[in-house]
Amino acid sequence: MLNKTLWNKRSTRETLSGYLFMTPAIVVLGIFLIIPVIFTIVLAFYRVQLLGEISFRFAGFKNFVRMGSDERVWIALQNTVEYVAIVVPIQTILAIVLALILNTQIKGKSWFRVAFFLPTVTSSAVLTLIFMWIYNTNGLLNSFLSFLRLPTYNWLGDPDVALKGIMLMNIWATAPLFMVIYLAALQDIPESLYEAASIDGATPWEKFWCITLPFLKPVTFFVIVMGIIGTFQLFDQSYIFSGGSGGPNNATLTIVLLIYQYAFKNLDMGYALALTLMLALVIMTVTLIQRSLFKEESFD
Amino acid sequence: MKKLLSSLAFSALLLLTTACRSRDQNEGTIEITLSGWQSNPIESQLLEKVIDQFEAKYPNIKVKHEVINSQYMDVIKTRLIGDVAPDVFYLDAFEAPLLMKFEVLEPLNSYIKPEFNISDFEPTLINAFKRNEKIYGIPKDFSTLALFYDQTAFAKADIKQPPKTWNELIQYSKKLTRSEPDGKPNRYGFGITPELPRQQFIIQAFGGKLVDRNNYAAFATPESLKGLQLVIEQYRRDRSSAQPSDVGASSGDDMLGQGRVAMLLSGAWSIPYFKETFPNLKFATAEVPTINGRKGTMAYTVAYVMNRKSTHKEAAWKLIEYLTSEAVMKTSGNQGFALPSRRSVLAELQSDRTSLYAPLIAGAKYATTWQAGETLPTILTNFDNQFVSALIGQQSLKDAMQKAQDTANREIYLSN
Repeated sequence: MLNKTLWNKRSTRETLSGYLFMTPAIVVLGIFLIIPVIFTIVLAFYRVQLLGEISFRFAGFKNFVRMGSDERVWIALQNTVEYVAIVVPIQTILAIVLALILNTQIKGKSWFRVAFFLPTVTSSAVLTLIFMWIYNTNGLLNSFLSFLRLPTYNWLGDPDVALKGIMLMNIWATAPLFMVIYLAALQDIPESLYEAASIDGATPWEKFWCITLPFLKPVTFFVIVMGIIGTFQLFDQSYIFSGGSGGPNNATLTIVLLIYQYAFKNLDMGYALALTLMLALVIMTVTLIQRSLFKEESFD
Repeated sequence: MKKLLSSLAFSALLLLTTACRSRDQNEGTIEITLSGWQSNPIESQLLEKVIDQFEAKYPNIKVKHEVINSQYMDVIKTRLIGDVAPDVFYLDAFEAPLLMKFEVLEPLNSYIKPEFNISDFEPTLINAFKRNEKIYGIPKDFSTLALFYDQTAFAKADIKQPPKTWNELIQYSKKLTRSEPDGKPNRYGFGITPELPRQQFIIQAFGGKLVDRNNYAAFATPESLKGLQLVIEQYRRDRSSAQPSDVGASSGDDMLGQGRVAMLLSGAWSIPYFKETFPNLKFATAEVPTINGRKGTMAYTVAYVMNRKSTHKEAAWKLIEYLTSEAVMKTSGNQGFALPSRRSVLAELQSDRTSLYAPLIAGAKYATTWQAGETLPTILTNFDNQFVSALIGQQSLKDAMQKAQDTANREIYLSN
């Protein structure tokens, strides 16, 4: 009996001190993460008037119903999904290929690593400005294309290719980050497995397919999840590209850019928050689907 | 009783000291903030100098000048919401209706004294910052659009006079368009900016209008389309006009400066810009060619406004009064980035620099002020988006404008 209360006391004390240690983190997270999330969920059901007299008016599901008839939401969603569907697979495959190349014993390996990694550590705003020069009608890319006698495009002004331009830029900038993650994972694969496979007479292709890829599966899951979240949240590049309008003809309008426009240009906070919730739901759904897909053939 | 007296005396003393203290604070220097954007470093230096003069005249007021260059209105709106907005700031006429409607600006009527001579200001400019007879802003300057043309190109194409009518402009554009051997034009006749702020007067040329009485978009009428069709046809059929991204330029001014177009509609800001950035460019200005026999152009204006929640309103007004006074306007007008908003100062300029500024000043009489109710930002986004798609031939102008109008009006309806 006595023993038990003593134990209890100690455990509560431990719990208390544990929470005490966590207080700074909890306070910071609470203020900058949890409270904003709660506000978002609550205010998405309100009409918020911030400029001048601040007022909140309960609007029920009005903000969500409005989404259904808002053409720009669908265009933004379509653009974003197209962007995710093209960028994520390409950047993942490119990252694996780059990592495999750098994992072999080629000369100047560390030099290549630095060169490949540079775009990732450069600010995306600077990258976008550099690419806008490259994409200029008389810029580097068009000069190169016309040198090869390929058709040239008005990369910044033509709605058909504007989003492709941003895709190209983003793949180039993000793939190296994931390459580094893959490189780390590749070092973790035990050499003995490859040796055993060689003794059994496996070809390099079989080794890659049966040893390397399965070992990289958890990392690939991580890379794809991060890639999808990152691409769904595309904002800065299309913002700089279009000067904040999402043009030409809504071609570079993404969900986050649309949220920004409603929140800060139209000051329609309630509707913007409803759109934010929608985006969060979309990302969550995609991640859940992906998790179930990866679980089916879990390696360990 | 004694106790009561002493306590009364004590509280009186206390009151006195606090009163003294607050007066002390009043006598100390106060700081007010002035926010604006910077269109040119020289313009900024000039303003700094004027502010120094102001501080010398009113030693107890210190002015903190702050430049917000990108997304100016987003920053100002957010700060107004957060109660940290500057005391005095620039406001474009186009954004004024929204801020006036939500009453975040201080009405200036009670501050304006007879010696300020408010009737000296161009009435159309004052009206842009007026709502229900209250004046919310004092126009700092303005500019209209005029036709800028490359004299060398005109001489080579053997054109003696700038176009007087829009038909002439289209004819001349064809003559001025010059192609390389492979058929790709390396210079176009006319440079266009496919944005609503530059197109509103064209919408009105055949009797169309941008918005109806309730500030809903109303530009998809046959009359409006007739004007806009001129722009589309020239671009698509004649291929004698270009937008900046077609020729790899960053702006309309850039197109003319680099010699990629021979004609352009632009404002007063271009005159010092061309002189400084493209000193070899030989250019001249003329009034905007008439469309449908009617003169028309756009006018853009910016005012100084006062934050309603400013804690130093008297000082803020003194600053606005000083910056828009006749004496100061004369010195800042000399730089030529914009036209002075006071008629007395403008009149002096008129006789002074007839050649380049005259068409811009002449335009002020018949210009359309770029402003149309608090719904204009929504209309602007939708118009620009669809107009570009009609321009590059994705859909007909009629469909594009109908779509832009419907989308804008639905958004306006839902946000009310």
